[in-house]
Amino acid sequence: MRRIGVKWRSSILFRVITTTFLLSIILISLVGSILFIQISNGIIREKTNESVSEAQSLYDYSQGQLDATLYLPSLKLPIVVAKILQASDLAIPTTPREVILLGSPLVHAPNDKFNGASGGLDQSSIPQALRKIVRKSGIAQWVRGTVTFGDGSKKSAIIVGHAVEVPPQSPYELYYVFLLTEQQTIVNFIGQLLILAGFLLIIMIGGVSWYVIRQVINPVRDAAEIAEQLTAGDLNRRMQVIGQDEMARLAISFNEMAVSMQQQISRLENLSRLQQRFVSDVSHELRTPLTTIRMASEVIAESKEKMDPAAARSAELLQSQIARFESLLTDLLEVSRFDASASILELKETDMKSLVNQTIDQLQLADLEQIRTDFPDEPVLASVDPRRIERVLRNLISNAIDHSEGKTIEITIRQSAREVSVGVRDHGIGFTERESERLFDRFWRADPSRSRLRGGTGLGLSISLDDAKLHQGTLKAWGAPGKGANFVLTVPKAPGIPIEGQPMPVNPNDEPSTTFLTFDEDDI
Amino acid sequence: MTLIMVVDDDQDLAEMLGIVLNGTGFEVDLVNAGDQVMTIFNAHQPDLVLLDVMLPGLSGIEVCKLIREKSMVPIVMLTAKGDSHDVVSGLEAGADDYMVKPFNPSELVARIKVRLRRSGVESSTTLRIGDIVIDQVAHTIIRNGKTIPLTRLEFDLLVALAKEPGRVFTRDALLSEVWGYQHADDTRLVNVHVQRLRAKVEEDVDNPQVVLTVRGIGYKAGTSQT
Repeated sequence: MRRIGVKWRSSILFRVITTTFLLSIILISLVGSILFIQISNGIIREKTNESVSEAQSLYDYSQGQLDATLYLPSLKLPIVVAKILQASDLAIPTTPREVILLGSPLVHAPNDKFNGASGGLDQSSIPQALRKIVRKSGIAQWVRGTVTFGDGSKKSAIIVGHAVEVPPQSPYELYYVFLLTEQQTIVNFIGQLLILAGFLLIIMIGGVSWYVIRQVINPVRDAAEIAEQLTAGDLNRRMQVIGQDEMARLAISFNEMAVSMQQQISRLENLSRLQQRFVSDVSHELRTPLTTIRMASEVIAESKEKMDPAAARSAELLQSQIARFESLLTDLLEVSRFDASASILELKETDMKSLVNQTIDQLQLADLEQIRTDFPDEPVLASVDPRRIERVLRNLISNAIDHSEGKTIEITIRQSAREVSVGVRDHGIGFTERESERLFDRFWRADPSRSRLRGGTGLGLSISLDDAKLHQGTLKAWGAPGKGANFVLTVPKAPGIPIEGQPMPVNPNDEPSTTFLTFDEDDI
Repeated sequence: MTLIMVVDDDQDLAEMLGIVLNGTGFEVDLVNAGDQVMTIFNAHQPDLVLLDVMLPGLSGIEVCKLIREKSMVPIVMLTAKGDSHDVVSGLEAGADDYMVKPFNPSELVARIKVRLRRSGVESSTTLRIGDIVIDQVAHTIIRNGKTIPLTRLEFDLLVALAKEPGRVFTRDALLSEVWGYQHADDTRLVNVHVQRLRAKVEEDVDNPQVVLTVRGIGYKAGTSQT
């Protein structure tokens, strides 16, 4: 039932065909019924007229015969009555009929000697209502009804009755029963014919409307199908243009739309490819001169002792700025690779605990006491790209240090069956709601005066987010002004399985969550 | 004096490399175009080649192949791209190591020194690996009485494995022992060179007997069959 409902809503063809069928069934059965009633009534009326007039003449003849017994002694009454009851032998035997003679119940007992019926008819077949009218009126009365035979079979018939007088002046009723068997057969046949004709008509109407609707629907359906394929990315699909009708115009304008869409898309694709190429080329082209500059600065720096203080300091600045330039270039190249979707994960079964420790070691922090770690006792293994995860961790930890104002930084690892989370929490300046919106933007800095401490490029969090996504993981941030920030990286333990949950919440447990801002990168 | 041939189309970078290498005590040949390399190479017979991948005329990869046809000299590639494709094709063409621009000059010097290191002097014993006899003094390897020519890096790789027959070397361990990397970086170096080495020393490359793969860990030396 539900499937029919769905079909009803989703297919015009189905709806039109169903409606056509239902309406034509109603109309055809209406017309068929009227026709059938008219025809069968006509047939029966004809038969009735014929029967009544025939009964009239039979009655006249029978009454005559009965009356004659009074004057002709040779005619014996019982013989005449028997002859009357042998209806078919009497004059005008044109149609099959049966006869019943009944004594008036007012005068005669039900088992009167003259009571009788032909053809095994049951005498009680005559309806009492008819008998009453027949007794009262002097003319022929008729009714359509069912008669019963001695063997129990019932048949539809026209019963014509007339009061007769059996000499001497004894009231009887004479009934002629005209069976409608033949008429019934004809009527039945006509009925069957009408049903068959109606049935064929409905099927033909259905077929014709199906054919007609399809002519209209098919191009629409094709258009929908091709539009779906276009949406799916197959931009080369076009509709077939046949003829010059409205459908052809639909196809033509549809195709024009597809062409213009394809051109727009390929133009945009080219543009963005060009732009990505440009960024990548620039980054590569800068590398050779940068190598030369770097080596030169290194050579210069080696002879620092021989220089005057200003030149020596300049050499130092040169060296450190070249290093910054270099990391900027590396980050830029990484970003352009992400944008071009050219980044590849190099997965390796990695112990996350030692990866975190290794990252902390490599940061060569002045104050190791500042960092507190909270790791599970059991091993934490995950199949990740260690280079990328280390880069994310390095970024999160050095960000935390830059913004911690010297307060403790907590690094936590939590795992579930399928995911592992690393949280980096500081209790420093935190960030506001407005800042949170731009947290992962490229080259955005919360506080430009602060970030230069460790020479951040402004691309760190953006790259970290891309790295997390490349792992099909997440990087979420929580923060509150003056209360610090918490960043939680969650990656699946096995590649290719998107994470379902998060082994640790991004809202820290030690702070009432209502007063803080949680920022989820999915909201971007 | 050790002679290093620097091939780079960027004249300033080549000159700068020359200054740095001279300062470290190497003699330097500067070449600016790929098609000049072979002439100068044949004339001067350098001890090591520093080769830029992107060269006009003849690409670094092709130059690398040409040098390898003639000589087992160590080759270090310089590339502006850290992307897999360039690096792998350079290594497959026969480069022993590569540096991604912009590199740290002291790291470059360190790598060059590792490649020039003489390993033969430390021991005069002959080593065996699989069916191969390694003569550390003569710096040759022999299988069935026939000498097989190897690059110095391939020789070092084989010696590293043969010296500790029972040990399974991870790729990171080989990187630090053979290439002198401080912390593990690019394990493709190991994979490519093991393939190159196998192509030379194995009788059936698909069923290696000399350098065995330990799945999920790394490589180890094969034992003698005879």
